[in-house]
Amino acid sequence: MPDLLLDVQGLETTFKTPDGVVHAVNGVSFSLQEGETLGVVGESGCGKSVTMLSVLGLIPSPPGKIVAGAANFFGRDLLKMTPSEIRHIRGAQIGMVFQDPMTSLNPVLTIGRQLEEPLTLHLGMTKHQAAARAAELLSMVGIPNAADRLSDYPHQFSGGMRQRVMIAMALACSPQVLIADEPTTALDVTIQAQITDLVKRLRSELGMAIIWITHDLGVVAGLAQRVIVMYGGFIIEEALVSELYAKPSHPYTIGLLGSLPRVDASGKESLTSIEGAPPLLYEKPTHCPFTPRCKWAIDRCWNENPLLETVAPDHRVACWVDVKTGRAR
Amino acid sequence: MTDNNVLLSVDDLFKHFPIMRGVLQRQVGAVRAVDGISFDIHRGETLGLVGESGCGKSTTGRAVLQLHRPTSGSVRFEGTDLTQIKGEELRLMRRKMQMIFQDPYASLNPRMTVGEIIGEPLLVHKVATKAEADERVKQLLELVKLNPSFSTRYPHEFSGGQRQRIGIARALALQPSFIVCDEPISALDVSIQAQVVNLLEELQNKFNLTYLFIAHDLSMVRHISDRVAVMYLGVMVELATRDELYSHPLHPYSQALLSAVPIPDPVAEAARQRTILTGDVPSPANPPSGCRFRTRCPIAEAICAESRPEFREIRPGHFVACFFADRYL
Repeated sequence: MPDLLLDVQGLETTFKTPDGVVHAVNGVSFSLQEGETLGVVGESGCGKSVTMLSVLGLIPSPPGKIVAGAANFFGRDLLKMTPSEIRHIRGAQIGMVFQDPMTSLNPVLTIGRQLEEPLTLHLGMTKHQAAARAAELLSMVGIPNAADRLSDYPHQFSGGMRQRVMIAMALACSPQVLIADEPTTALDVTIQAQITDLVKRLRSELGMAIIWITHDLGVVAGLAQRVIVMYGGFIIEEALVSELYAKPSHPYTIGLLGSLPRVDASGKESLTSIEGAPPLLYEKPTHCPFTPRCKWAIDRCWNENPLLETVAPDHRVACWVDVKTGRAR
Repeated sequence: MTDNNVLLSVDDLFKHFPIMRGVLQRQVGAVRAVDGISFDIHRGETLGLVGESGCGKSTTGRAVLQLHRPTSGSVRFEGTDLTQIKGEELRLMRRKMQMIFQDPYASLNPRMTVGEIIGEPLLVHKVATKAEADERVKQLLELVKLNPSFSTRYPHEFSGGQRQRIGIARALALQPSFIVCDEPISALDVSIQAQVVNLLEELQNKFNLTYLFIAHDLSMVRHISDRVAVMYLGVMVELATRDELYSHPLHPYSQALLSAVPIPDPVAEAARQRTILTGDVPSPANPPSGCRFRTRCPIAEAICAESRPEFREIRPGHFVACFFADRYL
């Protein structure tokens, strides 16, 4: 049994907005094992990013507030740490890559300066050591003439190259965990392939665990070992990647997979769309959040919110209905 | 044009945007956004136009509709060369060709009600009185599966998917025969994309519409298109029927592009051979000599730098611009 790196229990996060309190994350529990790649899938507003930002202590407060939960990382609760304590974890033991490589780099500092910062700050390297290591990191992520490019500014790099720089920065201190939030969404598909290829190579070289947040079920299929599907601030299904795609068991997962066309299909495929729109979450759902859009819904779905239950080894689903039979579980 | 079935015929279309410098605003160069492309669109078909950001696919769509006046070349719509007409004559032609835009948040005027937005084309083109327009708006809303009573509401009250339906209703108001869909679903959530695509297909069948469907999502383009064209850096590199292009791509760029698209199936993903392109797309202001793709092409030879490969019909209905395409036949 590999070691548990990160164990999140009962996380709840809310945001105060002018229109009322938004219940973004409503009791999310998951764990991450050493060296594994966990895919977190869901549409905008499902709580996937907020979950990870909460764990990292990056929720702006106010308006955000972590209402409940714990996130154990090497025996310590990340949610109870002071800002300065968690700053020693972020960037050192947990690396992060965000969606937009344009806005996550400082435009007025050289790439070298930005890469050296975590090295001097977390690892206590001298300027000289840090510069040498920064060049190593840049060439590790496949940037040619790495040593020369340290003195360049972010605008001199293309989108794909900037995302490589972000990955180099996230991996600078050899973290045990890399959290990547939609890292390829802003990139073209051929560049996306370059980046996922790079991440796969680095994963086998460095052995870090990865949490890969995305709305793209295709990217996750090729990258993750285990997948969590989120909806309305809840985890609604969790399974090994092969199991999830072969036997999706939550109506939402089934709907998502059915609404995706495949580039390798033959002939004309029909797309089954999910009618309706995702919930707004101004109230904490007291019933299954997917019920209004679900074609399998029964009375119980409107009254009680199902918990995640094991339906097969390594496969958990939060649904009152067994979609195979169409009857209540 | 002798072929009665051809609705739109584009011949050697160029669109260059001048680059101005200095106090005198002299032209110092040009962004060669569209650099000599030719294709036909048949009545009732959907032609998919794919390519990565900056390849000129949106500019092509706009140049076809004369929203950007082409630098040279001709665009024949039902036999009339749109580049040669202007004023009232062009305005009358515009009734027959409409556009659906990418961003449903930016393409609807926030100060107008939904009814005013959808009814505006009818009043501008003076084809209906105010009362007739109101009646027609209600029919159009029903057509795109929105409640007719929504006509008095404002765009901000709607979700992205609903706004896109409003945009579709506006495009349909004048009963056009041809619609340019410019990335109509890329701003929408996955579960909503299928709703909009299914609606577009339904409307096409109902009114025998012809679509130019511009997108970067190759899976969705495969789903909706009858024929597909691939663009790279202002030129068309391949054009074929959907099944032919996706199962036997002949241009190295099409091959790499298709192999980079993730498939939502872990088994298929694990079995795939990827062609990962190195480097980035060159600037359209200073494109490479000869074949545009040669700087990233895995099979480029000396001749590729010397002359531009002709866009030739290698098999009936299958066009490709590559010197070595015969290798893959």
